[in-house]
Amino acid sequence: RRPPRSTPKPSSAASDVYKRQVHGDYLIDMESIDWSQPIRDGTTIMAVVYDGGVMLGADSRTTGGALIYNRVSDKIEPIHKRIFCLRSGASAHTQKIAQLCRLYIGQLGSELEETPPVYSAAKIIQSFIYNYKSFLSAAMICAGWDPIKGPQIYTIPLGGTLVRENIATGGSGSAYMSGFCDTHYKAGMTRKECRDFMIQSISLAMFRDSSSGGIIRLLDITKDGVSREYISHDQLPLKQNNYSQSCLLYTSDAADEGLGVDLGGR
Amino acid sequence: QMCIRDRYQRRVHGDQGFVIKMAGSGYDYDVSTLSPEGKIYQVEYAMKATENSSTILGMVCKDGVLLGTEKLIVSEMMVSGSDRRVYSVTKQIGMVITGLLPDGRCLIDRAKEESASFQKQYGIPITGKVLADRIAQFMHMNTIYLWARPYGCNIIIAAFDEFGGPTLHLIDPSGQCFGYFGCAAGKGRQIARNEIEKLGAKNLTCKEAAFNMAKILHKCHEEMKEKKFELEMSWICPETGMTHQMLPKDMQKEMEIRAQETLEKEAMADVQSQIMKNINICLLYTSD
Repeated sequence: RRPPRSTPKPSSAASDVYKRQVHGDYLIDMESIDWSQPIRDGTTIMAVVYDGGVMLGADSRTTGGALIYNRVSDKIEPIHKRIFCLRSGASAHTQKIAQLCRLYIGQLGSELEETPPVYSAAKIIQSFIYNYKSFLSAAMICAGWDPIKGPQIYTIPLGGTLVRENIATGGSGSAYMSGFCDTHYKAGMTRKECRDFMIQSISLAMFRDSSSGGIIRLLDITKDGVSREYISHDQLPLKQNNYSQSCLLYTSDAADEGLGVDLGGR
Repeated sequence: QMCIRDRYQRRVHGDQGFVIKMAGSGYDYDVSTLSPEGKIYQVEYAMKATENSSTILGMVCKDGVLLGTEKLIVSEMMVSGSDRRVYSVTKQIGMVITGLLPDGRCLIDRAKEESASFQKQYGIPITGKVLADRIAQFMHMNTIYLWARPYGCNIIIAAFDEFGGPTLHLIDPSGQCFGYFGCAAGKGRQIARNEIEKLGAKNLTCKEAAFNMAKILHKCHEEMKEKKFELEMSWICPETGMTHQMLPKDMQKEMEIRAQETLEKEAMADVQSQIMKNINICLLYTSD
C-alpha cells in the first residue's frame, strides 16, 4: 500500500528532471528534502545485564532530518573481543569516538596481554565526550564482559558523566519505554527473559518515536562468546504500520495481576 | 690521516690521550658504538657502576612481595631517614634503586609519571609488568643515542595488581627487564641470590620471609663489618591491605636484632663444628 503523498507532486517539465528521483515505485522530490540536517542516530538503544552475561539491543534507523538515510543500520560497534558500545547522537561523532576507543583499547590489550577491562573502554569514551562536549553530540553505552568484574554496563550521556548500571537505555526513543522498563525489569533474569524484555521495550519505543524504527538488532556477550541476531519488522511485537494487530511476547507477574500492559486492540 | 675523534683526543689531551689504553680500546667512547666483538662498552661500564654499590633484594612470597636494601651510613652528621632508596610509585607499586642514586631517582620520577598517565587514560592502576616494561624501554632509549648516556642503576619493581597478583621485576642499565620470584643486585648479589634460592620464599608468608631478608642483608654486609650500615625494607602484603608500605620501624629493629643473633649463633656453630672435627682427628691418633 502506498503512503499518501505529503509533498507536492514534482513538475513534469523536462528541464526539471533533476528535481525528480525515481526510487522503486516512488517519485522523490529532491528539492523538498532538507539536506542541511546532520545525520543522526535518533535511536533507541538499550543494554541489560542478565545472569551470565550482558545483552545489547538497538533499533536500526539513521535519519537526517526527515530522510531516513539507513533503515538497517548497525548501532552496535565492536571495541574489543568482549567489549561493545551502542551509539546515539550524531553518527559522525559517535563513529569517530568508537573508532578511537577501539584503537586505544587495542593498545591496552596488547600491553596488558589480558582482556582489557570494560571500565577502561568506558573511561576512554568519557574522556572524549567530556573534553570535547562543546563540539560533540554523542551519548554512548559501553558494555562487555571481563574476567575480573564479569558483565558490566557503563552509560556516558551527553555531558560526559560515567555511570555503571545494570540496565541502561539511551537515545530519543528511551523516553517512551522508561515506564515499561521500570515496571518489568528484574535483576538476574535468564537469557530468554532478558531477550524477550528487550525486544518488547525496544519495539514499544520504535512504535512511538519517529527517529527510531526498522529492525531490532541484538547482541549477546558472555564469557564464552558473542552472538548477534536481528528481529525483522514482521516479527516485531508491535507492528508499526498496523494498528489493529499486536501481540504481547513478554508477560510478567505484574501484567497478570492486571497492573500491566495491554497493547492490543487498537 | 686521523679521524675527527683522534684529532680531538690529541688536541684536548695531547700525546697523553693515546697513551692510556683502556679495555675498550677506542670502541668505548660513546654508547652508539658497537665493538667488533658485538659489545657496547658504555653499557657494560654502566653495569659496573652498580656492581660495587649497595645490595638490593626482592622476594615474592605466598601472599605478597618484599623489597630490601642495605645503606652504608656515609656520615654521622647525616639525618637518619634522608638517604632513601625505596620509594612508592603508586599505592600498590614500590621501587628500590642501587648504583648512581640520582639516576635512580630520575627513573622513579619517570615511573610516577607513567603510572599517573596510564591511570588517567585507562582508569585502572598500572600493572607491575606494564610499568616495568615501560621503564625498561625508557632506560634502553638512553643506550641508543649519541647525546645520552645510560642510566647507571639497577632497579627492582615490586607490584601487586588484579591481573598478575604479586610481581617482581629487575631492570638493568641496558634496559633488560625480567620477572622474578626472587632477585638481587649490587655488591652482595651472589650471596643474596644463593640465599634466596635456598630459602624458597614462595612457601613463606611475608612476615616470616621479612626476618629472612634481614638476615640475608646482614650476611651480604659481612665483608665490610667495620662500616656502619642500616637497612631499608618494605612490603606489599595483607597486613598493609596489599599496598606498598615501609616495614614498621619497631618490627624492622626487632628483626635486625634477631637476624644478627641468628647469624652470630650460626657463625659460632660453624666454628664449633670445625673444632669438633679437629678434635676427632686428634683423638684418632692418640689411641694406644
